[in-house]
Formats: sequence, C-alpha cells, structure tokens
Amino acid sequence: MQNNTGNNPEESGVNRNLLNAAIRLNTLLLAAMFACVGGLTMFVATFMSLYRGLPQPGQYLNLLGVFLPGYSVSHSGAWFGLLWGAVIGGLVAVIFYRIYARSIESQVREYVASDRDDRDLLGTTLRLDGNYLGLALGAIVAGGLVVTTNWLVFRGTAEHSMHAILLANFLPGYSVSPVGSLVGGLEMFVVVYLVCLLFSWIYNVVAGLRSR
Amino acid sequence: MTRDKTDKAILMAAFARIDVIAYAIAAGTVCALLLFGATAALLLKGPQYGMDIGRHLSLIGIYLPGYDVTWGGALLGAMYAWLLGALFGYVLALLWNLTHYLYITAIVVRAAWWRMMAE
Repeated sequence: MQNNTGNNPEESGVNRNLLNAAIRLNTLLLAAMFACVGGLTMFVATFMSLYRGLPQPGQYLNLLGVFLPGYSVSHSGAWFGLLWGAVIGGLVAVIFYRIYARSIESQVREYVASDRDDRDLLGTTLRLDGNYLGLALGAIVAGGLVVTTNWLVFRGTAEHSMHAILLANFLPGYSVSPVGSLVGGLEMFVVVYLVCLLFSWIYNVVAGLRSR
Repeated sequence: MTRDKTDKAILMAAFARIDVIAYAIAAGTVCALLLFGATAALLLKGPQYGMDIGRHLSLIGIYLPGYDVTWGGALLGAMYAWLLGALFGYVLALLWNLTHYLYITAIVVRAAWWRMMAE
C-alpha cells in the first residue's frame, strides 16, 4: 500500500521534530488506552470467573498465575490482574506503535509525492499498512510465545505444561523447549503477519468504499 | 516540496481517524476465520495425546452457547466470533478516535485559555 522509498528523512524534507512528537503522543495515547483495556479485562474476567457459579471457579484462568506473580482467581488476585493487565497492555502498546510508526514516514512521502493537496486535515481516514501492522503484532505475539515458553522451561515445569503442548495442534514443531519455542515463534509470526495483511486489506477496502 | 505540505501530511497520517465500521467489519471477519480455522484444524487432525478432540477449545462453549468442536459448531462459532470481533473492533476504534478527539480538544482549549490570558 505505502511505498517506502528508503530516502534519508532529512533529505526528503520530513520535519523530524513534528514526526517524533506525533509518534510520542500516539504512543502515549495508545499505551493509556491499552493499559485501561488490559487491566479492566483482567479484573472483570477474574470476577466473572468467580461468580459464574461453576464448580471449579478459575480452573484455567488460575494458570495465568504461572506467568503473573500474585495473580489468582480471587478478590485480591483480581487487583494483581488489574495491575498486570495494565502493565502488559501499556508495554505491548509501546512496542506495537514504535514498530508500526515506521509506516507513517512512508505514508508522508507517498502523500507528498502524489502532489495532492485536496484532503481535509480533520476529515482524513486512517489507512492501515498491513506490512508494518504484521511486523509489529507478529513480533509481539511471537516474542510473547518465546518468552512464556522459556519461562515454563526455566521453572522446570515444561513436561507438565499440557496446555502449552496443545499449541502443537496449531503450530507443527512447537514444543515446550527452547528450540520448540523458536520454531513455534517463527510459525506464529508468519500466521499473525498473514492475518494482519488480511485485516488491513479488508479495512482499507471497506474504508475506501465508504469514503467515496 | 514545501514544509507546510509535509507537516500537514505528518499530522494527517498520525491523527487520522479510524473508520469505525470498516474496522469492526475487518475485526469480525478475521476473528470468525480464526475460530473457524482453529476448529477445523482440530477436526481434521483428530484426537491428539489421548485426549478427546478439542477438549480445551470446546470450553469456549461456556461463553458461546451451542459452540463445540464439530463442523456445525465451527460455523456457529464463526458467527459468534464475527459478532464479538466486530463489537471488540468497534469499541477499540471508537476509543482510539475518542482519545484523540479529547486530547486535541484539550490542546485547543488550553491554547485558547493562554491566548485569552495574554490579552
């Protein structure tokens, strides 16, 4: 969608100060949004699990305590969940936008090169760059899989991690081992990247049709 | 190229609003395909590790009544996933637009306040 010409930003006349300020602001807003959504999701999910009335509340959600110290399906654990959800949500948003923001520069170059000056600044609709979206989300999800798998190996509970092993149903070659995590991470990256390409394509087509 | 034009392009790229409907449709479609694909993958592979087929994935049925790891369940799950994914995408896009709108409004109000104080 966007063509990255690979030119030096200074040579292309892009105002680096403005670009960096815009990226910082968007990163901050996205981090705040993801922190709220992540924290509240964990908090609500914990209480839903507690009060759903099933015989073993939090049978599976409790397993998150392996990765999030202090978390459990309980009243006090819900507050830990709120904290962890906010921290992880904010961190994911920062990493995501720092990678995705690279597409902004190519969008700017494309706009300038197109020699158009007819768009309303406030009425502009976002166009997604599937390539950078895939790189950003793929890196986060694949990195998350590698880190969590190796955490299980480090704890010495790799052989008992039946739920993690089941991922091999979807990621052939994945296992709860350092090598298996790398294989699974690579496959996960490819899957997420392709899903992001599809997502961006659908979004851009529908948004394009609606803006006509 | 003029500096004004590149500055405008930066602001347009960075602060463009998300098309909420398009985002919801894309999110719903991707979620539906993912759940259908995950269910289909299990069905095609058959039972693994001596466990029932889709023992864990079928737990989604607690939240999505009627869903199970069968071909019929895959279709039903895809419909549920489309609705939930679209709802999630809609809320996410709305929040993104809203945070920008509030932030920009705050900047404008603050600038107007300082201009008024200076006068």
